[in-house]
Amino acid sequence: MMELLQFSLCFMAFNCFALAKFNHFREVFKKKLTDKQRHSFLATGWITILLSLVLSVLSEGGYGALLFCGYMALSVLMLMILYSFTVSWVKHISILNLSILLLSCFSVMIF
Amino acid sequence: MKENFFRSMTWLHTWVGLLVCWLLFLIFFAGTISFFKDEITYWFEPETHTVTHQDNRLAKQRQQINYAVEQLQNKAADSSSWRIYLPEPRNPLYTYSYAEPKQPGQRRAKFTETYLDPTINEEIAPPRETKGGYFFYRLHFDLHYIDVRTARWLVCLASLFMLIALITGVVIHKRIFKDMFSFRKNKGSRSWLDAHNVSSVLALPFHIMITYTGLITLIFMVFPYPAQTVYEKGLQQMFNEASPIRARVESSDVPAPLVSMNTILDQVYTKSPDADIGFFFIRDANKESSRVSVYLNTGKEVVDNGAAFLFSGSTGELLAEQGKDWSASARFYDSMTALHAGRLASPLLRWLYFLCGIAGCAMIATGCIMWAKRLRERLKPQQQAGVGLKLVETLNLATLMGLPFATASFFIANRLLPLEMVARADKEILVFFLAWLAMTVLAIISSSKRQWQLAAWLNALVCFAVPLVNAMTTEGNWISYLLTQKWTLFCVDFGFIIAGSLFILQGKKLRTASKKVSTRRFQKPKDLKEQQG
Amino acid sequence: MHSQSIDAVPSQRPKNVFKKRSVSISYRISVFFRFIAAIFGGYVFTSVLISLLAILLPLNQLDSVLLTTTLSVFFYSCVFIWVFAVKSLKRVWITILLTTGVQFVILSLIKGWL
Repeated sequence: MMELLQFSLCFMAFNCFALAKFNHFREVFKKKLTDKQRHSFLATGWITILLSLVLSVLSEGGYGALLFCGYMALSVLMLMILYSFTVSWVKHISILNLSILLLSCFSVMIF
Repeated sequence: MKENFFRSMTWLHTWVGLLVCWLLFLIFFAGTISFFKDEITYWFEPETHTVTHQDNRLAKQRQQINYAVEQLQNKAADSSSWRIYLPEPRNPLYTYSYAEPKQPGQRRAKFTETYLDPTINEEIAPPRETKGGYFFYRLHFDLHYIDVRTARWLVCLASLFMLIALITGVVIHKRIFKDMFSFRKNKGSRSWLDAHNVSSVLALPFHIMITYTGLITLIFMVFPYPAQTVYEKGLQQMFNEASPIRARVESSDVPAPLVSMNTILDQVYTKSPDADIGFFFIRDANKESSRVSVYLNTGKEVVDNGAAFLFSGSTGELLAEQGKDWSASARFYDSMTALHAGRLASPLLRWLYFLCGIAGCAMIATGCIMWAKRLRERLKPQQQAGVGLKLVETLNLATLMGLPFATASFFIANRLLPLEMVARADKEILVFFLAWLAMTVLAIISSSKRQWQLAAWLNALVCFAVPLVNAMTTEGNWISYLLTQKWTLFCVDFGFIIAGSLFILQGKKLRTASKKVSTRRFQKPKDLKEQQG
Repeated sequence: MHSQSIDAVPSQRPKNVFKKRSVSISYRISVFFRFIAAIFGGYVFTSVLISLLAILLPLNQLDSVLLTTTLSVFFYSCVFIWVFAVKSLKRVWITILLTTGVQFVILSLIKGWL
């Protein structure tokens, strides 16, 4: 559960970094990216990625840092496939990821 | 070297990459597979498939050690070396072995192993002679059929070039963050460049770590000089100081009975109440100079030389302890080997390591292919390919398609070779190299797109053959593994099914691509030029 | 390298064009010697550097050996890249020989070999 939370945070972070780029934003939302939106995506991205790293290291130390590097690799791979082959799925996958994030967050806090 | 730093680094990146890319592919391919060497070895020994992981593994260790020592006393009281390997999370087997007397001219003594089922403490029939996953592990730094030292120097040189390629790659990839998710498909060598960039960037921390730490594992062969400068007796003295547990002692001939293992185990458990014992070695049992080494499993700690104890076998006193109070420098060095070997990795991290290793193979493969494509594109329409280009294309096909083919053949050979064959393990390895040779011959005959297509179909064939042959020659198959939750075995079989499917996809893609090429040949040169435009 | 200035390029030249096919023998030879400088010159330089550091570092014997050996790869990589970053091959060889020589002399003096 904890690992799922760490991963979904990392995935969300890279998704935000991707959407902070003009070409990717245009492909997904069919609109032009404004500066304000770009800054909010970047900020969200940095906050979530740092959160993912901190959670990984706090829960398992050096081992957690290694896991975090693995999460980064997996996130970038999945997002690369999404943005290059199935851009129409980005919205759905993002919502799915957000729900996984919230669910795992709750279950970690409760148990 | 060139007009500016950037151009020099671009040139350097290409050339250090190209000079060793095929050897590097072999190293990365074999290394990535060997992350699962224990699991693969388990698949390779169907005779052990009835052995399952026990509950209360730690609680049974004392009794297992005592039993093994008792057996060893009965079978080989005079042997110079006894080894006991206890069950661990990745390997449910329990074995003890003893060294046979060395034949003249033998570098290392041969060991006779006995396998036990830990749940019932009874011997099981010895599994078929095979190297299993350890073949890939050794292959990736000792290579094969050549002198080990030469092989390691070659691997070190290749790894140095890899590290330089990584560093220069980062320097020259100016748009590293802008292009992180970009992959433009169907654009010829542009697409290969994108694939090369993506596979490099997505696991960049891993690539740099694994290459650097890989060099560190062999560093004392490459740079023994600091140790030789600082210590009068050189490397061996340094090793003895760093790892007193492994220090060699002169064998005495004075007989002395071995103390009860309980005396020793009591001390171990007092110092480390939750000790998880991994191996238990006894040297010169029943002599005055006997030594008992106890190595604990380190779990998820980023250490290679973890907690270990050295006792005198004749008196039971603690002689040395390792793993406490490591200095920062020692910890720094030790953690590097730990990171490279990845023994600490649990299933999740292990799969992530594997994924990153595959990305590394993809990075090297796309680099090789991109180079060949670029050279081809630079040829004028009537010009023939030169020797250099032909060599690159042949090596590409032989290595990139040959290694998976050889691997699948190796797995099939394990199931099909007669069990009683002499030097069976070496013959299995021979099959690997013969299969690779076959693919190389195919590549020498031609390295056109059609040949790649043929290679893809052949690879698909052998990959699908692995679970098929497994089902025919053993008691399980991938479906039964899934139903009985034998995940290790299921993942191996299913992995080959996925690999086979990917090769079919590749074959199909190459067929459409080669169709485009053959229609092009009938076009006039003017149309061709317009297309290439 | 001076022969390279013939290839001095305007900035519109696309990035991914590799060296011209009709390269001179002297170019090939200089490339070969540059690799020799990087591989062997770099190796000797690094060996002497880390041996000297191992003696000079204010750590106990084992720690200084472990630390310098662990950092050896880093030093070697830096030297290797430097060899290819410098324009003049002559300068590369002179620098390597000089620095290695000086370090070796210092090391010998400390160790009492001289």
